[in-house]
Amino acid sequence: MILYDFEHERPGSLQDVAARLAELGPTAGILAGGTDLLPNMRLKIRTPATLVSLGAIAAQPPGTDTDGWLRIDALTRLSEIENSDTVRAACPMFARSAHVVGSNQIRQAGTLGGNLCQEIRCLYLNQEHDFQFVAPCYKRGGDCCYPYPKNEKDFCASVFMSDIAPALIALGSDIELVGANASRRMAVEDFYTGVGMTPTVLRADELVGAVMVPPPPPNSGWGYHKSTIRGGLEFAMVVVAARVALGEDGETCADARIVIGAVSEGPSRARGAESALVGAAPTPEAIAAAASAAVAECRFLPHHNFSVEYLKQNAEVYLRRILSEAFGRAKTGPGKGGQDQ
Amino acid sequence: MSNLSFVGKSRKRKDGPDKVTGKAVYSQDVKLPGTLTGRILRSPHAHARILRIDTSRAKALPGVKCVITVDDTKGIKHGFVETPRYPPDQEVFARDKVVHIGQEIAAVAAINDMVAAEAVGLIEVEYEILPALFRPLASMKPGAVEIQPTHPKVDEPYTNIAGKTETEWGDVEQGFAEAHLVRTDRFESHLRTHGYLEPHVTLAHWENDKLNVWTSSMGTFVKRSKLAKVLDLPFSSVRIHKTYTGGTFGGKIDLYTHEYAASRLSMLTNRPVRIVASREEIFSAYRHGQPLTVELKTGVDRNGVLVAQQIKIINNAGAHRGSGVVVIFLCWGFTMAPYRIPNFKYEGYSVYTNYTTRAPQRGHGCPQVRFAIESQMDMIAEELGIDPVTIRMNNARDPEEDLPNSDNVHQAGLKDCLRLAAEKTDFLRNYGQTRKAADLAGSKRRGWGIGLSSYFTGSLIYPNGSGVMVKMNDDGSAVVLTGALDVGQGAETVISQIVAEELSLEMEDIKLVTSDTDTTPQDIGAWISGMTYVTGNASREAAGNAREKLLEVAAEQMNTPKSDLRLQDKMVISISNPDNRLSYRQVIAASVATHRGDTIIGEGFWRTMRDEPMHPSLATTKGRWSENYAFSVQVAEVEVDIETGEARLIKALTVHDCGFPVNPGLVKGQVDGQVSMALGHAFMEEVVTRNGSTLNTNWLDYRMPTIHNMAISEDADVITEQYKVGQPYRTKEVGEGLVSAILAAMANAVYDATGVRLHSTPFTPAKILSGLQKLEQKKAG
Ligand SMILES: Cc1cc2nc3c(=O)[nH]c(=O)nc-3n(C[C@H](O)[C@H](O)[C@H](O)COP(=O)(O)OP(=O)(O)OC[C@H]3O[C@@H](n4cnc5c(N)ncnc54)[C@H](O)[C@@H]3O)c2cc1C
Ligand code: SF4
Repeated sequence: MILYDFEHERPGSLQDVAARLAELGPTAGILAGGTDLLPNMRLKIRTPATLVSLGAIAAQPPGTDTDGWLRIDALTRLSEIENSDTVRAACPMFARSAHVVGSNQIRQAGTLGGNLCQEIRCLYLNQEHDFQFVAPCYKRGGDCCYPYPKNEKDFCASVFMSDIAPALIALGSDIELVGANASRRMAVEDFYTGVGMTPTVLRADELVGAVMVPPPPPNSGWGYHKSTIRGGLEFAMVVVAARVALGEDGETCADARIVIGAVSEGPSRARGAESALVGAAPTPEAIAAAASAAVAECRFLPHHNFSVEYLKQNAEVYLRRILSEAFGRAKTGPGKGGQDQ
Repeated sequence: MSNLSFVGKSRKRKDGPDKVTGKAVYSQDVKLPGTLTGRILRSPHAHARILRIDTSRAKALPGVKCVITVDDTKGIKHGFVETPRYPPDQEVFARDKVVHIGQEIAAVAAINDMVAAEAVGLIEVEYEILPALFRPLASMKPGAVEIQPTHPKVDEPYTNIAGKTETEWGDVEQGFAEAHLVRTDRFESHLRTHGYLEPHVTLAHWENDKLNVWTSSMGTFVKRSKLAKVLDLPFSSVRIHKTYTGGTFGGKIDLYTHEYAASRLSMLTNRPVRIVASREEIFSAYRHGQPLTVELKTGVDRNGVLVAQQIKIINNAGAHRGSGVVVIFLCWGFTMAPYRIPNFKYEGYSVYTNYTTRAPQRGHGCPQVRFAIESQMDMIAEELGIDPVTIRMNNARDPEEDLPNSDNVHQAGLKDCLRLAAEKTDFLRNYGQTRKAADLAGSKRRGWGIGLSSYFTGSLIYPNGSGVMVKMNDDGSAVVLTGALDVGQGAETVISQIVAEELSLEMEDIKLVTSDTDTTPQDIGAWISGMTYVTGNASREAAGNAREKLLEVAAEQMNTPKSDLRLQDKMVISISNPDNRLSYRQVIAASVATHRGDTIIGEGFWRTMRDEPMHPSLATTKGRWSENYAFSVQVAEVEVDIETGEARLIKALTVHDCGFPVNPGLVKGQVDGQVSMALGHAFMEEVVTRNGSTLNTNWLDYRMPTIHNMAISEDADVITEQYKVGQPYRTKEVGEGLVSAILAAMANAVYDATGVRLHSTPFTPAKILSGLQKLEQKKAG
């Protein structure tokens, strides 16, 4: 039960939502599926005075823009994404990443926009705060950090756990932000700040309108893995996502995008590992070296009772595995072999 | 068992349709007009003196009807154990100091949840913080800060000892001296919780000098006795009504402060008061299981036969005595029951720490000790070059053996279980193969492990016995009055089957009135592993009593001796002349007409260990413990990813001697439930704490297995004993002991797959991987 009073509005269009957000300022909260926001309101992690609901706005079905990019409305439910023939054919990794979120109930309610804008997670934060960890931490507007008492003020070392963001970044996707007066488009990668206090660049008067995924380069393949303890209904221990492409010779790596998620304040791209792979043959040794380089260059925080040491070991093994899968798929042809949900 | 129609059959659950259709009434479903919301103020500190409590601002808040603290109580203490040695030690609200995070300080009743929450926030408490202790070894140290006084009968110089159990026989030193091999190992277990889906809910209504209570429980009669006591009311003024319980696993026995608070607030406001614990409260302020440290020294001869064993258990017992002093007694029992140990020394310490008070949790210490003993058994076997089955066979008890406490194991099927389990899993062919094989492809490794266990079937603890009444209706159908509570285990079904058998009634002819302290006879409750045995036999006696009365009247009416009569389809039929018959309806009418109005009511009572005055001594283990011991052997097949350390249970086999299985379908349900719980114990669940605070206070971060994690679970029973109508059922425990051997079997299977020996639970990927890396280093260096 949410134990405080708040207002609730249901504007009829994205423009109206943006306009209301501009008027209300930071006291407003955007309500999509509510699977992240409402629990957080119950725990008083967020206490918006007005909920501006997207419930009256219908999501546009997945479609292809004139530039050939796949466009997915931010209001699309995750269950639609995982089951959409269009998405599964064009970018199976995206469908896969939607499929591994939470449980079926969560995916029936949760939306893409909500997933990408979900609150960071921290065991000290995801609490009731009635009698333990009562003093608000930096994230809740207070003046302390429980796991890192020595951190400088307003430094929140929590974890951003979207399963979908790493996949979208590996796919080179863009995100569209709708404002009251203007919209802007940027790479999903640039949408994330890597800062726990403000994990995205979204402004208080903006909302996410859509995500655009480019057509895959020729001879490309993907690999994705979400590590968990129980395999479902669980946030990730580690997420790894990769998209690679082979050159015309079918032997050398022409492009690689490697992303690690759920282990720090935002998804991180392993650019060093990527460039080491490009131009080389994806031998098991090269892949192993890339996996280990990726782990070395990305930031890991201990989280949810997992040590950094183990998180790194786990990420490295699965990076190796998904890179091999990705190159395997690249060899069998673009986007092929991807529907193995 | 040839003539049985109901007992021994997998009959449909009596409570099934109501539960599946959502009609079953749980405490939260009971609605009373004008109900107030109760809420509890809890301590933010693990250890602190209370200097001042000021409730005036909360009381002044509009909508607040009542605020209570310890000053509004009579100061009557209660405890999980209440004996002369271990008298009650807990007050319902903190007095002068708090000893764990979440301890109850005050409670409010208000017109709604929002006002109640605000009111709790307005209560001012001033604390002086004291140093807090979370590790038992630190807490025991002479001179450590005192959480609670050390038990006066413990004369060692330790602090914070809640209680000690010690016993010995033979001469361990001599035994170790004579042993061919002596091993000492240490095993640790972690903090887990019950994971009942229904949160704690209590609705209390004081009306016309009577307290009516609906509460999540495991036994309404225990609740009544404790609640009446702390409220200083006669039992007749407190009525605990029947509601279904949505899971307990040990976490809803004993009195909880929210039950007292709802009751007291109702008495003071004359309105119904409901308190519902939030999931976060349950994880951070309620009672969990008991993490034990087991130090185990074992001496064996050349054949692995036990010569001497010394065991020391240290229980991280939380801030009150709770069930901490019981678990250190039980661990002795779980050690001595399955194997013969000629020379033995046992010490168990229950040590106060600033964690929440502990509760029993399914298995109550058995998984922790069996994990230690069965792991070490495999280590010994390997050192001696004996296989895991033979070494167990060499030590397992035979039928009819006397136990050191003068109990007898009767028809113990332990060796039968071992033989069958080994055979069904082809254990000796599979075991050791992975480690022997050179250059296996891929990263997945299979391993097999075995473990065994024994569990008691009911002991003596209040209310010690169960009564059942069978009221025959004029049409020959029956109403059964029983205090038994169906917490999901199937009590209502089993009782109906027994009554149906004894009276030749259909299941549909039987309706039950259950677990209402005013209208049903007293019952031991669903928590001491004895309900099918104790209440089941009381039901058999009650139905038998009704049957005898039916037969007596029928014999008179039909002019034939009782021995010539049999029952069938609600008819009494003469065996010699089947045309001579009377319906139950006719017999009952005749009874009313000729027996001063007796409509035929059968009564039955049962108690385990009839001739024992009381339960055994928790401190010395003297006295009888149980009259039925269940035995089990479990085999686990696990798969380990040697690159990531991730492991999972693929398949479990449970072979058990559960005595006479009244309902094999329900037995299977218990087996599967326990396998699932044990694999959660092994690989997933942990209450993560920091300085006494719980960090993972929700189902996402406390990972219980989902249906997708469930392993294939097979089971088989051995020696299901003969049964004839009118004879006591020798049913044995099957509802909690089976979480034990399988835990050890999983650890042994991880070893079999990888060579990594686990000394602590849970078996996390990080632990397994680091074990693998150490093995690699050893090989390399
Ligand atoms: C039990 C459970 C399990 C979960 N498991 C997972 C998991 O495994 N992986 C995972 O990634 N997530 C998980 N989640 C989190 C969450 O459910 C999903 O991420 C879901 O996709 C969120 O979508 P929503 O529409 O419900 O978001 P909401 O709760 O409605 O919103 C979440 C946040 O995003 C903002 N927001 C919503 N839509 C927009 C928009 N269009 N533009 C800008 N801001 C917006 C909201 O204001 C809010 O701050 C889980 C949640 C629960 C309760
Ligand atoms: S890491 Fe962030 S969310 Fe967690 S306690 Fe610190 S400030 Fe709060």
